[in-house]
Amino acid sequence: MPRKCFLIVLMLVISLSLLLFGCGTDQARDDQKPGVAKGGEQRQVDIIRLAGGDWGYPTPYAVYPRGPGSFKMRLIFDGLLERDEKGLIPWLAEKYEIKEGGKQYLFTVRNGVKWQDGKPLTAEDVKFTFEYATKYPMVGVTLDKKDIQKIEIVGDRQVRITVTEPNAAMLYKLGMVPIIPKHIWENVDNPKEFTKPEAVIGTGPYRLTEYSKEHGTYRFEAFDGFWGPKQRVKVIEFVPVSEEVLAFEKGEIDLAGITPDVLPRFQKDPQYKIVKSPAFWGYRLLFNMKDYPILQHKELRQAIAYAIDAQELIDKVARGAAVPGSAGILPPDHVMYNPGVKQYKPDLQKAGELLAKLGYDKLDENGIRQNQKGEKLSFNLLVSSGEVRLAEVLKEQLARAGIEIKVQSVDMKTRDARVREYKYQLAVTGHGGWGNDADYLRQRFASYSKESGLMASAPGTPGYRNEELNALLDKQRREFNEQKRKELIFKIQEVLAEDVPELPLYYTTGYTVYRPAKYDGWMFMFDHHSLTHSKLSYLERG
Amino acid sequence: MEYLFTIWVVVTLNFLLPRAMPGDPFLYLSAEEGQEVTGFSEEQRQYYLEYYGLDRPVAGQYLSYLSDLLRGNLGYSLYYNEPVSTIILRRLPWTTFLVIAAVLLSTVFGTILGSISAWYREKWPDKFLFFCLILLSEVPAFLLGLVLLFTFAAGLGLFPLSGAITHFANYSSWWEKLLDILHHAFLPVMALTIARLGGMYLLSRNSMTTVLEKDYLRTAWAKGLPQKRIIFRHALRNAMLPIVTRVFLSLGSLVGGAILVENVFAYPGLGHLMREAVMVHDYPLVQGIFLVVTICVLLANFLADLVYRKLDPRIGDYSGIHGG
Repeated sequence: MPRKCFLIVLMLVISLSLLLFGCGTDQARDDQKPGVAKGGEQRQVDIIRLAGGDWGYPTPYAVYPRGPGSFKMRLIFDGLLERDEKGLIPWLAEKYEIKEGGKQYLFTVRNGVKWQDGKPLTAEDVKFTFEYATKYPMVGVTLDKKDIQKIEIVGDRQVRITVTEPNAAMLYKLGMVPIIPKHIWENVDNPKEFTKPEAVIGTGPYRLTEYSKEHGTYRFEAFDGFWGPKQRVKVIEFVPVSEEVLAFEKGEIDLAGITPDVLPRFQKDPQYKIVKSPAFWGYRLLFNMKDYPILQHKELRQAIAYAIDAQELIDKVARGAAVPGSAGILPPDHVMYNPGVKQYKPDLQKAGELLAKLGYDKLDENGIRQNQKGEKLSFNLLVSSGEVRLAEVLKEQLARAGIEIKVQSVDMKTRDARVREYKYQLAVTGHGGWGNDADYLRQRFASYSKESGLMASAPGTPGYRNEELNALLDKQRREFNEQKRKELIFKIQEVLAEDVPELPLYYTTGYTVYRPAKYDGWMFMFDHHSLTHSKLSYLERG
Repeated sequence: MEYLFTIWVVVTLNFLLPRAMPGDPFLYLSAEEGQEVTGFSEEQRQYYLEYYGLDRPVAGQYLSYLSDLLRGNLGYSLYYNEPVSTIILRRLPWTTFLVIAAVLLSTVFGTILGSISAWYREKWPDKFLFFCLILLSEVPAFLLGLVLLFTFAAGLGLFPLSGAITHFANYSSWWEKLLDILHHAFLPVMALTIARLGGMYLLSRNSMTTVLEKDYLRTAWAKGLPQKRIIFRHALRNAMLPIVTRVFLSLGSLVGGAILVENVFAYPGLGHLMREAVMVHDYPLVQGIFLVVTICVLLANFLADLVYRKLDPRIGDYSGIHGG
């Protein structure tokens, strides 16, 4: 018996020592060479590693709707247009024209572009892509059958798309559709389940060489036959990390998102560069004006806006990493932001005056306002479990103005379902995409809107109707002159700021840290908050 | 027979519960902070609901679910775009590996330490071990994992920070791959082991104490048998019964601890998957995972029954003095 015990112990000791020996046989990592200096300072780098995670097989159909999967897909696939720091630039389409007051788009497809399997890109591929995308919806592409009237090929390199309704935001939608090869997809009737190697053949700068679902890893290699600017990064690897900051410090990844409390660690050190992201992700407060007529009073909504102290919310909930919401809806980093809109700086006195005007001038024993009939200003606030802290601070702030808030917290999907079905009085929801084309204002606030744009609770905002706004929103849609359109959108923001049909609370911003000595090509697209998601971040800039 | 009925009840509950949650898999109105979500337009949502047969009446969906299940088809994940069985089978081995390793190590060490404690009961080795292990057992597994991560992986650099293997590596032999896997698994397994050690220790300590007081041990002592032999051959063998039962029964709950540890180390097991599946209302996947976990627990129970019968002749089918 003692021998048996001794053997067990011996085995354990051996395995333990093997494990420790295992440390020594660490795979020699592919360490980057300082890079060949090209003409200028755009150095090349052998390999970049970024935080991974499984976001789906990178085809336009198999990526997951949540997360950055579609940006990995865009490393492989190109659209007719691409995004840079200021706006849209020609990409697969070397030029485009908008005709017939916005009803026709004529794209000239670039010559000499090859698919990653060697075959040439033709106008047929472009036509096929649009027809296929309207038949089988692509993830993240909200193009619909009813948006497009017809698609024709003109000559040998041009594609003319006729849309049903002119819309200034349509160019973006059309330009962003990832073009897929007809010779591969024409026989696929189940695009979501098409995960063969041919499914990831695109015209883009990178090829997918490895992907593991359960490990959450991706590996991309620069495509030699790419038609466009030279790739500055030869290999991009996405590896899962347990803790981003830790992994970045150890050199396992080359870029990390950090929170403000960790900033000091990197700020003083010159080998790191810290960049602040544009604030395109935000929380907003919704009012159910459809079922609660009291919320239809603009004064009440304005009073709530005056009672809310966005900076306090930011300090207490977002640890300082956010920008206060603008009542004009569009965030300050938006290309069409109007800095002159009415601001609702915290002002309890003004709030009180507005509420008194509505008849809520008495306070009950708890400090809650009530009117002559004894009706109290009390509302339910629906949030998801992630926003409970935010809700609690809001509750405190509104109590100072005499408004009582009862917080109801449920899981995210339940909250979404209830918002969709109008089972709430007040609700808070958070999402990204605030940098998108300002046309989403029309989808959200025009009472005639039948489209639910950008995470709207539903088309339009039922219970809210402003004829002047409706007219402006319709006009901006048809205005193709940049400057004139901007003026219209400025005015729209002013009207919205006055009416407050919903109230953006704050837009989160973030910090990203990287080592410029290793790689410095990172850039932001004009409407997006993440450096690593831009295709141009990995390419030489002209 | 009762097992089959239990399975049927579980399958039905599995089917109904996720659908009882409000919201459907294609409703994306919001996102977690900082996350990108591409919503679906109303038309796209209807398209997907139809495509996956989610717009059929519930009874119809239930019947097709049952018939698929009988053919071994666990369905198709709405979110991951893969058959559910493939997804689960790829991740199950990693979780199983962690769980079994942790069970073995914690049982072995717990039993040894518990036996030592029982032998030296009330003297300083016992008091010292008792104190340390009670302290450790209160710390949750994921917290232990974090501490280990920061100390040994980040601080001392002895172990990798995350994952189950070195990604994109080319191995020159299967031996190298095995070492790599063990190297990556060391910390997660340690975390789970230490978390369970306290429980195992207490159990074996109590069990041993009870057995040590028995008359047949006095006899052995009186016979002048060597100490080691008394402890291991006579006492431990009888004390093992409750320990073994406990091991099997706790396999189910161990999966829960494994999930948290997997999240800490970004280990590709079922843990992360379960959370995601529930969050996005991926009905087939949720059903699949819960079914697999339930079956494992039932299986563990079943095995516990069998093993116990074999170990304890008093309840077994055959008579005769066994061991001792």
